Amino acid sequence: MMGDFSMRFRFIETGYASAAFNMGLDEGILNAVAEGRSEPTLRFYAWRPRAVSIGYFQGLEDEVDEAACSARGVDVVRRVTGGGAVYHADELTYSVVMPESHPLAAGSILDSYRLLCGGVVEGLKALGIDAEFAPINDVVAGGKKLSGNAQTRKRGCLLQHGTVLLGVDVDEMFALLKVPNEKLKGKLIEDVKARVSSVSDRLGRPFGYAEALSAFKLGFVKALAVNLADGEPSPAELDDARRLAAEKFGDRAWTAKR
Amino acid sequence: MKGSFVGKAKGGKLLRLSVEAAGGVVTAVSVRGDFFAHPEERFDELEAGLVGCPVDELGARFGSGAAALGLTVYGLLPEDLDAAVAAIRASGATP
Repeated sequence: MMGDFSMRFRFIETGYASAAFNMGLDEGILNAVAEGRSEPTLRFYAWRPRAVSIGYFQGLEDEVDEAACSARGVDVVRRVTGGGAVYHADELTYSVVMPESHPLAAGSILDSYRLLCGGVVEGLKALGIDAEFAPINDVVAGGKKLSGNAQTRKRGCLLQHGTVLLGVDVDEMFALLKVPNEKLKGKLIEDVKARVSSVSDRLGRPFGYAEALSAFKLGFVKALAVNLADGEPSPAELDDARRLAAEKFGDRAWTAKR
Repeated sequence: MKGSFVGKAKGGKLLRLSVEAAGGVVTAVSVRGDFFAHPEERFDELEAGLVGCPVDELGARFGSGAAALGLTVYGLLPEDLDAAVAAIRASGATP
């Protein structure tokens, strides 16, 4: 199902980048959309080096073993969105930015989570994985989580970003993240292994970022009923992203602010 | 007097509450976790505004402060803060 021309989104695919740049570009796009310089946008991206992102309201020391991250060459970044800590390794990450006045941003926060997570659900279905939205902000298949998502509203715009787990290494994840109760760590790891899966697990074969792009692009077209126009980040968005990467997301004061 | 609580909030997300109080009045408080609230920066003001509040009114002050600041909070309810304070008390600390 294709939407009418008024429901046009720019589509950009920015490949692998550092955590600070990735978060900077999401905010740079939000700034450009807020100021009417850019169209509503769907972006796909990935992380190199691998990274841990924490939610805006999380404590850095509570959640992250910084020494382990440093030893393994893993970036650490604080997001502008709430939600939990995420280990970004083998995944496809997306962001969606649109004005709050856009028809796709109508309704409650939960309504818009459901609608936008539909892009992930439809992408998974296109791969033969029977997935569904699980409130508040997850997508599950066979009762296991395959995707986490986080939304905010800023400067009159909606920003939602989220991950699709293409592969998952729970032991590596817990080598980098702290747990609320160290004595229960072993049990928690087993619980997470039972509750989290990946596209590769579900398909029974390795499934990577390059292969995921077309499936999830189709998924968002179907779920949002939009036309996607292939584009690039503007020079101003890239400048903004680099500035934010240096001055905000790469700044210890931001990362450790809570 | 000080204490902290880590646990699943009735609102659905993990809450980490740290409270210090003297004479039943909050002198320091930190509300962390994997909940959502926007505008995010306003939450910092909400949290700061809890200092000076009677510890028994933490949830009510959180709820009214969020409304006054135009904050939308997801995954955490005002009553979760009161439940966390009660759990801290039950554990032996007396904020």
